[in-house]
Amino acid sequence: MGLSRMLQTLRSITERVPRRVWAVAGFSLAAIFPLFNVLGFMPTAWLRVGVVSLVFVMLSLGLNVVMGEAGLLNLGYIAFFAVGAYTTALLSSPKFGLRWPFWALLVLSALLAMVAGLLIGLPTLRLRGDYLAIVTLAFGEIVRLTITNLQPLTNGPNGVTGIYPPRLLSQGAIDSLQASGWSEALLKWLVIDKPIEYYYLVFVFVVITAFLISNLKNSRVGRAWNALREDELAAVSSGITAARAKLLSVVLSAGVAGLAGSVYAYYSNVISPESFLFMQSVIVVCMVVLGGMGSIPGVIIGAIVLQALPQVIRESAGAMRSEFEVYRMLIFGLLIVAMVIFRPEGLLPDKLWRQEVHEVDPRELEKTRQSLFDVEEGHQDLEA
Amino acid sequence: MSLDHIVTVTIGGLTVGMIYALVALGYTMVYGVLEFINFAHGEVFTVGGYVAAFTLFALGVSDQMSTVAIIGSLLLALVLSMAVPAALGLLVERVAYRPLRGRSRIMPLLSAIGVSIVLQQLIIIVFGPTPITMPTLGISSASVSILGARIRVLALVIITVSVVLMAGLTYLVKATRIGKAMRATSQDMEAAEMMGIETNQTIAFTFVVGSALAGIGGLLVIMYYGSLKFDAGFLYGLKAFTAAVLGGIGNIPGAVVGALVLGLTETYGVSMDLGFLAWFVVAGLLMGLYVQLVLAPKKRLQHISDDRRTPGYERSIANIYRLAPYLAVRTLVVERTDALRSVSARHAVRLMLGNLFLVVTAAVLFANGSSRIDTRWQPVIAFVVLMVILMFRPSGILGKHITEKV
Amino acid sequence: MAREMRLSARKALAIMLLVALVVASMSLAGCKKDEGTTVSDDETAGKTETIKIGVETALTGPLPDYGYAAQVGCELAVEDFSGFTIGDTTYEIELVVLDDKAEPTEAAIVAQTMVDEGVVGVIGGLTTGATLAAMPIYAENRIPQISGSVTGPKANETDFDTFYRTCWNDGVQGEALSVWAQELGAKKVVLMDDNGAYAVGLADVTENSLKAAGVETLRQNCQSGDKDLSAQVANIKEFGADVVIFTGYHPEAGLLRKQMVEAGMSDVQFMGGDGIKSAEFVAEAGGNANAEGCYATFGGFPEAQQPGYTAFAAKYLEKTGDEVGPYAQNNYDALGALVAAIKKAGSTDTEKIIEALQTLEYEGVTGTFTFASATSGAVTRGDIVVTGLTPANVPRYVVKDGAWIAVE
Repeated sequence: MGLSRMLQTLRSITERVPRRVWAVAGFSLAAIFPLFNVLGFMPTAWLRVGVVSLVFVMLSLGLNVVMGEAGLLNLGYIAFFAVGAYTTALLSSPKFGLRWPFWALLVLSALLAMVAGLLIGLPTLRLRGDYLAIVTLAFGEIVRLTITNLQPLTNGPNGVTGIYPPRLLSQGAIDSLQASGWSEALLKWLVIDKPIEYYYLVFVFVVITAFLISNLKNSRVGRAWNALREDELAAVSSGITAARAKLLSVVLSAGVAGLAGSVYAYYSNVISPESFLFMQSVIVVCMVVLGGMGSIPGVIIGAIVLQALPQVIRESAGAMRSEFEVYRMLIFGLLIVAMVIFRPEGLLPDKLWRQEVHEVDPRELEKTRQSLFDVEEGHQDLEA
Repeated sequence: MSLDHIVTVTIGGLTVGMIYALVALGYTMVYGVLEFINFAHGEVFTVGGYVAAFTLFALGVSDQMSTVAIIGSLLLALVLSMAVPAALGLLVERVAYRPLRGRSRIMPLLSAIGVSIVLQQLIIIVFGPTPITMPTLGISSASVSILGARIRVLALVIITVSVVLMAGLTYLVKATRIGKAMRATSQDMEAAEMMGIETNQTIAFTFVVGSALAGIGGLLVIMYYGSLKFDAGFLYGLKAFTAAVLGGIGNIPGAVVGALVLGLTETYGVSMDLGFLAWFVVAGLLMGLYVQLVLAPKKRLQHISDDRRTPGYERSIANIYRLAPYLAVRTLVVERTDALRSVSARHAVRLMLGNLFLVVTAAVLFANGSSRIDTRWQPVIAFVVLMVILMFRPSGILGKHITEKV
Repeated sequence: MAREMRLSARKALAIMLLVALVVASMSLAGCKKDEGTTVSDDETAGKTETIKIGVETALTGPLPDYGYAAQVGCELAVEDFSGFTIGDTTYEIELVVLDDKAEPTEAAIVAQTMVDEGVVGVIGGLTTGATLAAMPIYAENRIPQISGSVTGPKANETDFDTFYRTCWNDGVQGEALSVWAQELGAKKVVLMDDNGAYAVGLADVTENSLKAAGVETLRQNCQSGDKDLSAQVANIKEFGADVVIFTGYHPEAGLLRKQMVEAGMSDVQFMGGDGIKSAEFVAEAGGNANAEGCYATFGGFPEAQQPGYTAFAAKYLEKTGDEVGPYAQNNYDALGALVAAIKKAGSTDTEKIIEALQTLEYEGVTGTFTFASATSGAVTRGDIVVTGLTPANVPRYVVKDGAWIAVE
């Protein structure tokens, strides 16, 4: 068990450094990350991995609200991402000849995703545990299949192509700025079309999302969610409106996913249903769990690690790379299993969750078991 | 819809349903004892099919061989397609699930997802990326005529084999020592341990039985359809899991019922002329809108302020509103007054959203101008059925009979 | 006790990892052929340079068999074309094979990796969705891209001059299917797709063409991976179709044919695009008797008429021990055409290669072809234009005694 002791020592050292320091260090590293590319140390592919990772960081942060905070497992989360992405794609592409303003589409995408969240949340929130998981899974598949099937609207499996790059200001405003003597080089940054520009755009959104969610986590609502997650009955008896709090978490997380979807559509230029498979939902769930449920830094790290992992595996194969591609997913799967077994609390765990994950009192186990029976008994009245 | 059409579709639905059931049993048994969704179960099913086809190819089975030799090799394939998945199930349980026992319930789920990815990739690496096919045999295309419909012998074989296996499983769980141990473990693991039951062995045994059943499912599928792709387990797993949940997960008869409901709904859903049903949906919608827009706002005002405090009975009525055709019957015939009393303003909004959903669904489904559902919506049907049933019965069709769960 | 349990679990996991690694390294050892990429300064032959050519394929994801065949096609081409000379420089080809999982997000990263690697050209991608996501990146970085398997009619809607393909555009094939069905005397035709991009595109073109000719049609769908098509078969029976056209791939096509025959509809004509023209179709349809008389079109010359096919098939068999996989020869030609364009350009400058591709005439395995320089009708820019082959006489196949043979 030498490895485990080494890890323990390492952890005790790292834990002595305050979290704030880590946060600042991580933030600065993320902020200067593209510079490595500009200076020529890093291939541009990594920049794209960075952009996609950040999009998934947003998704994980959103899912963390509903899963980590409120404790509701959602296996169809990618559906909200799809709603946001398609909203943007259809209203800013040659498909219908529209080019709505960037900011308006961001808001609209988030709003429509929230409506979708409301639609799925209202009828299903009284379900618990695995039943909720399977219904959300079904919802995710329904959304994807509907997108595939509604060919006149979405082009079906062929996807929507040629999504316009976002303009931070309207064309008119850009022109007038140019007329008033702003330099061309500066104005070029107002039209986002290079990987590095996308990187900083998404980075800003990630920072804002993370900030808002961490404030929410420590607010009244956040505590209500945690209380519901720990013991719903006790939470309700102490005056928390369960339905409202849960619904809020679902709708909020859907909104974040919609926002991420909008940015993703702009970045990828083309979207098709292949990007919204059930597997993607699963990967986001893995990001949250492996990062550390309920812990914002953890979730961020989890998303980056999992999203970058396939590329890391690719690069580390070096000269053997071409022959090694076949085994990439195999290793990915093995690593997930290994991480769950050896580090179940996640990379950067939340305090509350760590206690829960490691040692479970047999009586606690019995309690969860019992609560399952309660649900079943509680709804016998349905037959009356 | 002619009689032979009905027979064809029914037998088709039953056959698919039985295969779903064989896979669903594995999900439900594992859930019964460990309360976790074994996501890698679908891949175990695929491995069963691959092993069967591989064995038959290795033995060089063809119609030129003697009947005894064919039956012998089929039996060998059967044994191997049970043994290999069983061993695999055991290994996966030992390596990827047992170390996680007693931890938060999401951990085994994630581990299972990882295992599922690994197994899919291993199938590609071991058996190659092309779909595996069965050697062509006379029996796989033989058919008989029932009520004017031509039914494949294999379909009847699948139904028979499945029924026998399920009877055997019921006997195993109800009447044998190990079955009792399984039930005890699922009731209360700790207590079972104290009573001298080797819970680890019992759980391992559950995995072995579930995986062997899935393996047979794989064998039957590849015999019936002739080919199998490396990722077939995902879709089968998903549907079987849906079936297990439909029937109330953890409940053995429930899994079978759920699987049959799903199989029949899928085949009927796309082949039935919905002329009558479509009108029924429209009538229900109009009725629902009338109730909500004209009656509801007058009568209910401060009735229900919060879901939690509302009696379950009233909530269930409100839920019933969400399915408009059903609403038409219930409000008009059975419980008119009660239904009206319990609708609050908020519920009215919900009902409207529900009806909007129905209108959109109906419009989409019938968009091609006919009263028949476009076949491309077939997979959607399974999921919609699942969602609707869970809204009415949050723990599945037979979910209440907890004493019968494994 | 718990500790012991954990420990042995670790051991087991370690064993599992080890097994996976052994399997991996064994297969690696099996398929790795030492390709000498040593840079030598031969006094007689002048200097040797290594150029990189990318292969964007999908080895994981839903279509690994297609991805594998594409990779093999390219590797065979490297064996044949590597070591060509321009002036006194000998160029060795190094392949960069990357897996895009047939998924758009990953495809963009793969495309960028190709750009970073400094490839002179890319063969691929394999599937439409992934290719569409990668195209703008190649176009922006001026890297020529030749796909050997993207047949979607709308693949080059954006009109990039960096995109070329050595496989047939489905639009042309759809037209051909419609013409053929009418020749067979079709009055009522069922079109069925698998809800994938390829099948839907092909079915759309065919259906529109049939409708325009006054043929009654019914559209059916299944999901790729479906095993039970009894509902669709029942619908086909009710509709009373005389021709069924399945535009998807062989696994579902075989099943459909099988279940149709079993439902007593062996007299209904069965047609499909190149997706069903695979040796496995016959087995999947349940044997020779069931598949007998099924028709398929194909995007190029019939294999028997492809000038270099026999030699290619022999090489493919020698390398893999298998019959030629889907689109392998098109990918072989794609790489061949790229090398020819480099030679024609006399330089590895990508801008010059793109220019050379536009006017290139290449004699490949599948025939002698050029690339369309502009979009007109069903043909889009960059499409393959095979000499002596017009959209009207797309090759036709029929199953006879369990094998696909060309129809004259």
